[in-house]
Amino acid sequence: MTIEAKLNELATRKAKALGMGGAEKLANRRAEGNLNARERIDALLDAGSYVESGLYATSHIQEVREKTPADGKIAGYGKIDGRSAAVVSNDMTVMGASSSVVNGKKIRHMREVASKNGMPLIFLGESTGARMPDRMGAQGRAILGQDPAEYQRLRQSPWVSALLGSCYGSSTWYACMSDFVVMRKGAQMAVASSRVTSMAINQPVDAEELGGWKLHCETTGLADLAVDSDEQAIAAIKRFLSYLPSHHNEPSPEHDVSAGADENSKKILDIVPADGSKVYDVRKVVATIADPGSVFETKARFGKSLSTSLIRLQGRTVGILANNPMFKGGAIDVDACNKAISFLVLCDSFNIPIVFLVDQPGFLIGLEGERRAAPSKIINWMNALSLVTVPKISVIMRKSYGQAYLNMGGGRNSDEVICWPTADLGFMAPEVSVNVLYGVKKEEDPARYAELLQQVTRDTSAWNLAALYETHDVIDPRDTRSCLVSMLDVHRKRMGSEVGRHLLSNWPTSY
Amino acid sequence: MADTKVVSEVTGSVWKVLVAVGDSVEADSPVVLIESMKMEIPVLAPDSGVVTEILVATGDPISEGQAVIALKT
Repeated sequence: MTIEAKLNELATRKAKALGMGGAEKLANRRAEGNLNARERIDALLDAGSYVESGLYATSHIQEVREKTPADGKIAGYGKIDGRSAAVVSNDMTVMGASSSVVNGKKIRHMREVASKNGMPLIFLGESTGARMPDRMGAQGRAILGQDPAEYQRLRQSPWVSALLGSCYGSSTWYACMSDFVVMRKGAQMAVASSRVTSMAINQPVDAEELGGWKLHCETTGLADLAVDSDEQAIAAIKRFLSYLPSHHNEPSPEHDVSAGADENSKKILDIVPADGSKVYDVRKVVATIADPGSVFETKARFGKSLSTSLIRLQGRTVGILANNPMFKGGAIDVDACNKAISFLVLCDSFNIPIVFLVDQPGFLIGLEGERRAAPSKIINWMNALSLVTVPKISVIMRKSYGQAYLNMGGGRNSDEVICWPTADLGFMAPEVSVNVLYGVKKEEDPARYAELLQQVTRDTSAWNLAALYETHDVIDPRDTRSCLVSMLDVHRKRMGSEVGRHLLSNWPTSY
Repeated sequence: MADTKVVSEVTGSVWKVLVAVGDSVEADSPVVLIESMKMEIPVLAPDSGVVTEILVATGDPISEGQAVIALKT
């Protein structure tokens, strides 16, 4: 065969592979308003930067080679906003992007290259699960489990998942190991499809109820964000990655600071009422502290009494954990505990300093919390916090009661503790503590109640904490931003090149 | 149009009912204030809609998950 003939064969094979599952299936996707797997890669990566790995891979089963271009999972490398990344994009037009021997090898290679060379790895998920009949019978079992590290997560580089359609099998498993998960409304993520589940339990199952965005954004917390389209999902991935380093041995990227930051921070007194019985939305406080336009909230619909967000302060990424009195009065429930832990893991793994904004009446006590193992969540959080090696600053804005005082960075659990003059520190609300400690009720002995209330209230002020040097400063709330900028500079890990020890790198982020 | 029951996320007592039958409410706007943990904690409408029924009165004890108003969304 001449070289021309060989080049012609290459061109033919390339065109066939790039044709994915065929024109008809691709047209159907387009008609449904879905991008195909290659269009998704194009939208994600900088123009002209994509290099594919495994374009000519197919099923290992001879009879289906012709109908398995790229074996249904398209993999490669490229740039996102100029930074290198690896990507796996599931091609539903090729045997439902089902998991096979060969495409499993492709994913493995992407994982290894991304980890070894320090690149984020992005999974564009939409898959039907294990490929049949490949995995049936004992012979099918024998092709599984050939990579003992398949489900190992050590967070050497960030992983991101987008759930963009029906996600069963690998798209689900990798989402549960990812640092950020965005879900398109209408997509589903579950162990098995509603059809299979319905047959297994012999009753109708609604796909949306089984694995829709509301379930995962509001109840399980397995998804961080819900969006309306593929394009929005891809924009969210890019935005998330803009806050993270490419790998764990690198500080987070620096960005320009937009104008107006210092003026914004003066609005803080209009947001937070001095009266602790009045609530407010702490996300407005976060917005006044952050560089303008830089707030990226994660899991906004889950565990809402604690808001977690990536922000920039003077151009540098910071992770904020803020109690939100607008929801459950800021009382910390089991979902909020799980959310806090997963956020600590994210920040510590990728060298992102942590700031606590504290205004909480304690953990939410009650039967529901105990049934869901609340004590273990509280202590897992403390264990995680004690293993964090990035800088930690705690700002006590108003209430900080009970054990949660420690979980939110009180005492030596932060590098620096700052109080506002409105800080209120105690084991419980002063009004409650008069009842609990002295057995005096307001309606029975108002004079004695008032006297004791004054006593316990005075004892909970920021000044007593400051006198004992358990808070390092008491500041005007309007100076919070400038104080954090200074303190994060003081606590920079200069000798470690701003890189932590990553003792949480193999903690799970889903619970 | 769907009927939605708006529920309290916390246990406490009703401090104020902020809406009346027939009122239009926006998503995330407060409809009832619950007094709990010495705070006035709002119950927020999950979606925008029209109030069809008030299910509680000032001073009523409230459990977590209890409906406070009904909305046509």
